[in-house]
Amino acid sequence: MHTKRRKVVAAAATVATAVLLLAGCSGSGGGTGGATGSPDSGDLNFVYMGDADQQKAFNALFAEFNKEYPDIKLKAVGIPSGNWATFSTTVATRLAGGQKIDIIQVATEGQRLFASKGILEDLQPFIDQDKEVVDDYWNDISPNLKKFNEEYAAGPDGETVFIPGGFNTMVMYLNTSVFDKAGVPIPENGNWTWDEFIAAGKQIKEKTGAYITGAGPGYFTDVMPWLTTNGASTFNADWTEPTYNSPEAVESAEFARSLVELGLAPKPGGQFDGNTAFKQGKLASLNGGRWPVLGVRDMKMVDDTVIVNWPTKTENGSPVGWDAWNITKNSQNKQAAWTFIKFLMSKEAGEYFAQIGGTIVPARVSVANSPAFTDNAPEGTVRLSEAMDYATPIPSIDQGAEAQKVIEEAWGTIIAGQGEAQKTLDAAQSKLESLVGE
Amino acid sequence: MSSETVAVRRPGALLRRRRTEAAGWLFVSPAVLLFLVFVAGPFVFAIALAFLKWDLLTPAEFVGLENFAKLFSDPLLPRVLINTFVFALASIVTHLVFGLLLALAVNQVISRAIGYFARVAIFFPFLISWAAVALLWKYVLDPTFGYVAQYAAMIGIDLPNFFADPAWALPAIIFIDLWHTLGFTFIIMLAGLQTVPSELIEAARTDGATSWQIFWNVTLPLMSPTMFFATIITFIGAFQIFDPIQIITKGGPQDSTTTIIMYLYEKGFQAFDMGYAAAVALLVFVIIMGVTVLQFVGRRKWVHES
Repeated sequence: MHTKRRKVVAAAATVATAVLLLAGCSGSGGGTGGATGSPDSGDLNFVYMGDADQQKAFNALFAEFNKEYPDIKLKAVGIPSGNWATFSTTVATRLAGGQKIDIIQVATEGQRLFASKGILEDLQPFIDQDKEVVDDYWNDISPNLKKFNEEYAAGPDGETVFIPGGFNTMVMYLNTSVFDKAGVPIPENGNWTWDEFIAAGKQIKEKTGAYITGAGPGYFTDVMPWLTTNGASTFNADWTEPTYNSPEAVESAEFARSLVELGLAPKPGGQFDGNTAFKQGKLASLNGGRWPVLGVRDMKMVDDTVIVNWPTKTENGSPVGWDAWNITKNSQNKQAAWTFIKFLMSKEAGEYFAQIGGTIVPARVSVANSPAFTDNAPEGTVRLSEAMDYATPIPSIDQGAEAQKVIEEAWGTIIAGQGEAQKTLDAAQSKLESLVGE
Repeated sequence: MSSETVAVRRPGALLRRRRTEAAGWLFVSPAVLLFLVFVAGPFVFAIALAFLKWDLLTPAEFVGLENFAKLFSDPLLPRVLINTFVFALASIVTHLVFGLLLALAVNQVISRAIGYFARVAIFFPFLISWAAVALLWKYVLDPTFGYVAQYAAMIGIDLPNFFADPAWALPAIIFIDLWHTLGFTFIIMLAGLQTVPSELIEAARTDGATSWQIFWNVTLPLMSPTMFFATIITFIGAFQIFDPIQIITKGGPQDSTTTIIMYLYEKGFQAFDMGYAAAVALLVFVIIMGVTVLQFVGRRKWVHES
C-alpha cells in the first residue's frame, strides 16, 4: 500500500516538476538580452525559405556578402517548406526549441504573426543610423511596397520591425507556339478579359487539344488571382473580416469551376508535371510569379514564352506577397545583422541575385527594369513588377496556416465539382469568422 | 542470522553480486537512456503540456483542465476519430486477409527461385519511403494525366476523381497504404506459416481431411498467435497514419481524410495550440492502450495457445 502511494506521489511530483519547467516556456525567440555587437564581425544565423535550387542562388549571394565582410560569419539555413505558412511554423518551432536566429526572412503570410509576438527588434534606430542608405532604398522601391510594409507588418506598437525585400505577383506565361498553332493572338498589351480567355481556351482546345491553364486550390496561385481580377478578396482591406462569400468571390469560384467543366483546364485532384506539359504543348500557360522562369530557361523556351497579365472580369488584379527582413530581439550581433540587411537592400545585391536566378521580383524598381532582371527572361517580364501598382497584399491573419487550409479546401471542393460555390464559400466564411474571432 | 553476518563471512560474494549488477546496468544503460530521452521524457512533457496554453513564441500559461474539456466540445474531433477508426479497421482486415492469402500462395510455390522472387517483389514497396510512395500515387491517380485514368478512358470507364471526391479519398488512401505496407504483414504471415509443423498437416491429410479442412482446422489455429501479433502491430501503425495524408490530401476533401495524428499536427503546428495538441496526443495514447488491452483480453477466445 505504502509502495503504491509512494509511486503515485512520485508520478505526481514528476508531472508537477514538468509543469513547472514548462511554465517557464518563454518562447525562446523573444525576450530581451540581445547584444548590439560590432557591425563588421560576429556570428549571424539567418533563416530563409528555399528549396535546393533556390538555396544555390542564395548561397552565391551570401558568398558575395562574405567577400565584403569576411569577419561576419554568416550561417544561412534554407528551409524547403514549400509554402510560407509551413515556413512560419518551422521557424516558430526552431525558436521554441531554443535555436538562436538573428534574422528571419519572413514573407507576408507570416509577417503579422511574427510582428505581433513582440520578438522582433524595433528597426527605427538602425534606420536613423543609416538614413542615407535607407532613403535611397525607399526612393527606389514601389511606394505600394513601403505602404504595405507599414500597414500590414508593423510591430505591436506600430514600430518598424521589417524591411521589405523582393516580391511576387501573379501573371501567366503563355506558350506562343500553342497560341500560334491555334490561331489565337497573344493578348495585346498583355491584357485580356475572362470572356476572351474562355474564347481562347476553347479555340486552343479545339485546334491543339491543349488545356489553356491549370486548375488548383493554391491560395496565392489560384484563389487570389481569380478573386482580385473580379474585385474580390478573402478578407477586407485590414484583414479584420473575411469576405470569402461575397457575390464577386462566388462568381470567381464559379468561373474557375467552369474552366474544368468546359475541359479547358485539367481536372484537379492529382498531380502532373506542368513544365513537361507546357513543353509538350499540352498546356498553353504556366501560372506564377517570377519562379516559373527557371523552368522556362531549363526547357530553353524563353523565346517561345510571353508573360501577360491575369485575365480580368472587372479590373486588373493580382495578389502580392513580399519577403521582409528583421532582427530578433535576442540577437547577439544586431549591428552585424543590420550590416547584412543593408547588403540585401543594396542595388548591387539586388542585381546580382536577379542575375544568378533569384525567384523573386527585385524590390528596387531600377533593378526590376534593368537587364539583370529582364535578360534571359520571357518578353513581358516587366509586367511582374508593374502588377505591384494594382496588386492586393495576400490577406494573412495570425492564424494564417489554418485560414489558408480553409480557403484552399473550399476552393478545391468547388473546382472539383464536389460542392456548390455559394454554399461552400458560406461554410468557409463562417470558419474564417471563427478564426478571426480567436 | 543477519545479512551483515553473511557479508562478514562472505565478503567476496557480495562484491561479485554488486559487480554483476553493475555490469547488468551498464549493458542496459544505452537502452534505458534512449527510453528516458525519447519515450519517457517526451511522455511526461506531453502530460505537462496538456495543462498549458502555449503558442511556441510567447510564454506558456497554466490553464488546468481546459484542454481536456475542449476535447469533448470540439465539433471536428468525432469526425476525425471516425475517419481514423475506419482507416484502422480497414487496414487490419485488408492486411490480414491479403497478407495471409499471399503467404499461403508463396508457401505453395514449388520453385525456390520463384518463391524468393515473390517474397522480394511483395516486400519491396515497404522499403520505399512514404513521401515517394505518396507522390507516386498522386501522379498515377491524377484524373487527367494519370496512367490509371488514361487506360480506363481507353476502355470507356469513367473513374471517380479519387483524391477530390470525399467518398473516394479515404478508400484511395486505404488502398495506397495496403500497397505500401502489405509486404510487412506478408513476411510476418509467411514466417508464422513456416512454423506450422508439417507432421500435423501430414497427419490430417492421412486422416482424409480436405485442403480446406486442413487450412481451417490445423493451419489457421496454429497461425492465430501470428495473426494476433499482426493485428496489434497493424492497428497501432494504422492509428498513427500521417505521411500519405499530409502529402496527398492534407486531410481533405472536406475533412474526409483527416485522421487523429493529422489533426494533432494541425492543432500543434498550424494553429500553434501546443496544449490542446498534447491533450489530443494523450487521447491517442489512451485509445491505443485501451484497444490493445481489449485485444489481449479477447485473445483468449480466438488465439490458439499451444
